[in-house]
Amino acid sequence: MNKVLSIPIFVVCACLFFTACIKDTDFDQAEDIALTPVIELNLIYFNLPANRFFDTINSTQILTVRDTTEIRFLDDSTLQESLKRAEFYFKFTNSIPRNFQVDFQFLSEVNDTTYITGTSVSQGTLSSPEITEFIENIEGEDILRLTQANKVVVSVTIPSSNENLEGTLNLQSKTTYFLEY
Amino acid sequence: MRIFLTIILSLMGVFAFSQNKQLLYGFDDIPQSLMQNPGGKVLHKKHYGIPFLSQIHFNGGSSGVSVYDIFNNGNDNINDRITKKIFEMKNTDFFTATQQLELINFGWRAKNEIYFSGGIYQEFDFITYFPKDLAILAWEGNRDYLDYEFNLGEISTTGDFMTVYHFGLNKKLNKKLTIGARLKLYSSMFSYRSVNNSGTFVTRLGNENSENIYEHTVQNANVTVQTSGYASLRELDGVGQVTSEILGRAFFGGNIGIGADVGFNYEINEAWNLSASVLDFGAIFHKKDVENYRAHGTYTLNGINLIFPPLNEGESTFPYYSDLEDEVEREIPIDTLHNNYTQFRPVKFNAGLSFGFGKFNATGACDCLNVGGEKLHKQNVGLQFYSIFRPKGPQMAGTLFYHRRFTEYLSAKATYTVDSYSFSNVGLGVSADIGKVNFYIAADNLIKYSNLAKAKSVSLQLGFNIIIDEE
Repeated sequence: MNKVLSIPIFVVCACLFFTACIKDTDFDQAEDIALTPVIELNLIYFNLPANRFFDTINSTQILTVRDTTEIRFLDDSTLQESLKRAEFYFKFTNSIPRNFQVDFQFLSEVNDTTYITGTSVSQGTLSSPEITEFIENIEGEDILRLTQANKVVVSVTIPSSNENLEGTLNLQSKTTYFLEY
Repeated sequence: MRIFLTIILSLMGVFAFSQNKQLLYGFDDIPQSLMQNPGGKVLHKKHYGIPFLSQIHFNGGSSGVSVYDIFNNGNDNINDRITKKIFEMKNTDFFTATQQLELINFGWRAKNEIYFSGGIYQEFDFITYFPKDLAILAWEGNRDYLDYEFNLGEISTTGDFMTVYHFGLNKKLNKKLTIGARLKLYSSMFSYRSVNNSGTFVTRLGNENSENIYEHTVQNANVTVQTSGYASLRELDGVGQVTSEILGRAFFGGNIGIGADVGFNYEINEAWNLSASVLDFGAIFHKKDVENYRAHGTYTLNGINLIFPPLNEGESTFPYYSDLEDEVEREIPIDTLHNNYTQFRPVKFNAGLSFGFGKFNATGACDCLNVGGEKLHKQNVGLQFYSIFRPKGPQMAGTLFYHRRFTEYLSAKATYTVDSYSFSNVGLGVSADIGKVNFYIAADNLIKYSNLAKAKSVSLQLGFNIIIDEE
């Protein structure tokens, strides 16, 4: 072989490198990529002793006790876009011989009510506490309202009480977040 | 999130790179083979790399997945394919990318028969191992993984952007043995690393003593990220400022390191030839603009414990949420540290054994390439071994090669390589001298060139030199 021949050989080889291609692929599918994690996360919990429903100093009943906490991640813009469904699970264990009404009021930053839910809790006894489970499934339009909130007010209402009332109302709760990115 | 994922997936196989230059190693016709073995045979008298064009090198690889695996236009859903791959891949699978650009490269044979060579090149090197557990957590969530301990220690990634100044010597000691060494000064412009992490995250269903339904526990977390050249960039505004700041560090403005390459070539007899080299044996000392982050601790998240405090009108309750955030920050603090750190370069080891046959005599009249009475073979076949030390241990590759000198001006080398990426990597390199100008190009995974999407790694080197042969 001589120099004249070597150049065409070289050109052929070089062409080989530059004719590489990508086929049988469809990068538009990237649009369809969706992460769909399902996250289980604890929410609130409390232990309310029966004596919290009676003011011993003034000898008066306290029929409703209330507490508020922020849930700041709820109105986060990323969550607003990606939350498709939320399932709240509340588990009450009641050893107080009274039924309760428990309400959850979700408020926005400027204290507008965006979502309300609640349940009644069956009475129990010290020796055999009663378990009440409550599931609130939120999807569709309601998700928009839920994710406007960044705090929740929990109200616990007892029909009547006295200073000798014994037992505890316990709440455990979690939320299942169905996300899609 | 989706955009981020798309970018990562697109990088796979296209830009994923490693550093094996199996085609350049031992390809004596190309001056840059001296960068793979400073003790290699040098056939010419002088060489000058054409500035910025003497070596352009790209190498990318992903050991577990190709672009085709994800983006093939089959009938099944792309998300099913991703799910399948996430579970198929192991936490030792990795994505790597290397890019090098030679600014200057030169060499000459002095009167004392030592071949001096030196130059400057810029290098970008990146590797990330596949954090399988975190990928599962992000992809599927924790609902179906109660009691499963997600391993935070799978996070293992490094990235470096640097300029390398080098100068080397090469001498043929006797008829059989050539040795060489190269000193390197590294100027790191930007560097980060997160290795040797540990810890787990688990969600367990609580028992009768638990405060709430679940116990979300981070156990013995120890996750660190070391950065240099990053902190000062944060205050800058816009891509332009960042780029000019980084480039300003190219000339010893960054963190300095030192390293060495050594190698030899031994001609066992007329036919057999043995060579080996160790490259980038050295370290960079990060002292300037260092910022490290460390998160450590153990914490169980129970949720928000409402106390129902008796409140007077206008009083507000406890800031439960802020308190919880403070508690997490207290139990798993993220410290920002400014302590210096030393980063060892990924050491590379090359070895080659070749068998040559067919005496090469291009013109029949003069042995123009035959420096100092060396016997050049028309054809060489042999074996090469390559390994690079990475955070989770060495990555190795074995290569079979065939090298042929067609004419005085044209030679080629073909390789078959078995490595972490595949068992079907065929590469081809060509070196052509057109006048005094030498051009070379080398690429591997040629079988996949008909459809690059199926390739798990791609390596490409090309460049132009001016070579002056012995008179």
